[in-house]
Amino acid sequence: MSTFPLTIVTPDGLLFEGEAERLRVRTIEGDVCILARHIDYATALGMGEAAVTIDGKVRRAACMGGLLSVTGGRVSLVPTTFEWADQIDAPRAQRAKERAETLLANRAKMSDREFRLAEARLKRALVRLHVGQ
Amino acid sequence: MKDIKLRIKSVESTMQITKAMELVASSKLRGAKLRAEQSRPYFNVLHQTLADIVASTQDFYSPYTAKREVKTRCYVVIAGDRGLAGGYNANLFKTAAAHMGDTPCVVLPVGKKAVEHYARRGTPMLTERFAEAAEVDVGDCFEMAGMLSRAFLAGEFDELFVVYTNFVSMLNQSPAVLPMLPLAAESDGPRRGLRLYEPGPQAVYDAIVPEYLAGLVWGAVCESVASELGARRTAMDSASKNAGEMIDQLSLRYNRARQGAITQEITEIVAGAES
Repeated sequence: MSTFPLTIVTPDGLLFEGEAERLRVRTIEGDVCILARHIDYATALGMGEAAVTIDGKVRRAACMGGLLSVTGGRVSLVPTTFEWADQIDAPRAQRAKERAETLLANRAKMSDREFRLAEARLKRALVRLHVGQ
Repeated sequence: MKDIKLRIKSVESTMQITKAMELVASSKLRGAKLRAEQSRPYFNVLHQTLADIVASTQDFYSPYTAKREVKTRCYVVIAGDRGLAGGYNANLFKTAAAHMGDTPCVVLPVGKKAVEHYARRGTPMLTERFAEAAEVDVGDCFEMAGMLSRAFLAGEFDELFVVYTNFVSMLNQSPAVLPMLPLAAESDGPRRGLRLYEPGPQAVYDAIVPEYLAGLVWGAVCESVASELGARRTAMDSASKNAGEMIDQLSLRYNRARQGAITQEITEIVAGAES
């Protein structure tokens, strides 16, 4: 299968640079899959599972926020958070989920900002748990 | 003689402080340098990607790319939390002031020194919440970016710059001004026409630009924190060296004075015995 150069960088560093066969990510509009020789493309990323196929092997990851761009066949994935499935700390995500749920239980006492933060935290925890399984 | 002795003591205690600060700075520097190096690819790729996108998008209007008449500028100034870092803070403020010129400005100071500096000047500030540059994390950067892009769209300012210090090496840090908004295409790059945006250019820009600002601010914060520690380490190193030299000189003077006193005493005793 033909491959394309893929770069994955987050604020925590360069996570992947090399040839990939397939990249599937969740954008703000839903899942997209990028193959080699894609047209120039730009979109914003949502929260969800990403899967990168390298040498026929699929690696899954939790991928949240940021942007995806294809320029002249080069693909740059620039998420805010990107964690390979095997590096996800599942107990920590579980704890984060429970904490966010208890916070969200008393919605009445929260300001809108706190509510949004707690909701985002819960979403991130859920994505991590889903990918980590 | 007593004076000299006291002086030596005080210089010695100063030297202890500068030595301790140097050690603290160099141990923190290791972490900060690593962080700056790790954030650098993100910073570069993000900048490059956005430049590519802007270069290939000339056919629609976005408030983020439109050049407006410049009435007010906004500066994100990232300085240190403490002094005693040589010219680190002073150089940064000088660079910022030179770039600002006479244009009316608002600033978003990061770091205690920046907050103090602009409070003294009476420059209007967007917020003083980020007074600890060393404590700023990625989440804070996103908050700043959200605030900045909202204010930009609301027309509170027409241009946005970030002033930070580039960590060139352990011994060399240079202040820099980076333009952030409006997004400008690098004019020498080839113009590519067709680019697919999903769901649409407007929506993509609205989602991407705050991310982009946050990424750039985060990169600048990492560089600046490493620079501050680097500058402090160098400054404290030379301060310790100077203190050492001073102690040497003072001890020489002290010993001379002591010797002089002893010689005088002996002369007096000998003279007394002879008479």
